[in-house]
Amino acid sequence: MIERRKATKMAAELAGANPIVGSVGNATFDLYGVADRPENFYIWNSMGMASSIGLGLALARPDKRVIVLDGDGSLLMNLSSLPTETMAGVTNLVHVVWDNGGWEITGAQPAGTAFGVDLAAIARGAGYRQAVTVDTLDDFRAAFAQAMQASEAWFICARIENTGALHVRPSKTLTRLRDRFMEALAS
Amino acid sequence: MLDTSVRKAGRHKAENAPGWAHAILEAFRRENIRNLVFLPDTVMGRLLALADTDAFFRLTAVHREEEAVGILTGLYLGGQRGAMLIQNTGLGNSLNALASLGMAYKIPFPLLISLRGELGEFNPAQLVMGRAVRGCLDALRIQHFTLGREEDVEVVMHGALKTCFTAQEPLAVLLSAQMTGWKDEE
Repeated sequence: MIERRKATKMAAELAGANPIVGSVGNATFDLYGVADRPENFYIWNSMGMASSIGLGLALARPDKRVIVLDGDGSLLMNLSSLPTETMAGVTNLVHVVWDNGGWEITGAQPAGTAFGVDLAAIARGAGYRQAVTVDTLDDFRAAFAQAMQASEAWFICARIENTGALHVRPSKTLTRLRDRFMEALAS
Repeated sequence: MLDTSVRKAGRHKAENAPGWAHAILEAFRRENIRNLVFLPDTVMGRLLALADTDAFFRLTAVHREEEAVGILTGLYLGGQRGAMLIQNTGLGNSLNALASLGMAYKIPFPLLISLRGELGEFNPAQLVMGRAVRGCLDALRIQHFTLGREEDVEVVMHGALKTCFTAQEPLAVLLSAQMTGWKDEE
């Protein structure tokens, strides 16, 4: 099993200047905690929307590889974003899902992923040609590094431990989060 | 994988597009709104058919309307403007994203919403959401205008889009069946 904050730090290091969208809750808190950078976009609510924001970014910026750090609960709320990503034909999206089998932040209640729901299989069914599940940090690094060099969209389901997130929080001035990210991406 | 040769507007034909569709697309063009993120209905299909033949516009379909709010946010963060084209039923599917992303982060984009459950409705299941549209928008503090006559489209669209980007917030333009027509079905 993978520690989310270690994998998050690894992803940010391998991201270079490419943008990262953090999903609501622990995905964002760990991203902010271990790898805050102007190229990160944090959402404070909007559960499920990280994948759709990533798709919009990928459409707007074909020169970047856009990374989404999603949660299993969040993706399960917006599963229709996967076939939409296929339909839009984007090749520059790296969609990572931290799969801890449920809603960790609200008390680790089990979601479908705790009962055998296979998100990589769903991604393949939705049109991803590159969709893998990884269980170790080494495998995550290998898959993510390959995804960052690829010329097609990638989906990585990383099975993580339920360890809770860092108790740090990005700014609650949301237009500041917006503006910092936009300026970083425009420069 | 995706066959990109597929016409995204389906069986509607650009040559049958009504005057209001031409005027709306010209207003979008004037404000450099290139991305039309949509879930179709038959009203919007007529506009999409016209846009689909115009290289200025990029059509991006979604499977659930809420996705469009996220996609338009990503587009705007990446430096591109877009519009959300839905039926009013889809407003109900999008409320939290509009509140917590569009309004809270101040992401400007117009919502073009065709109205069911208003004039000439034949489907009783459309009535309740139809009546709730303006109340939902008001509750979220999303400014809205209604287009009922083709001759109003140019000036209202021009003004609404300017206000939308000044406010840096989503803004809705509602397409009444008074202008777009309704089905003969009883």
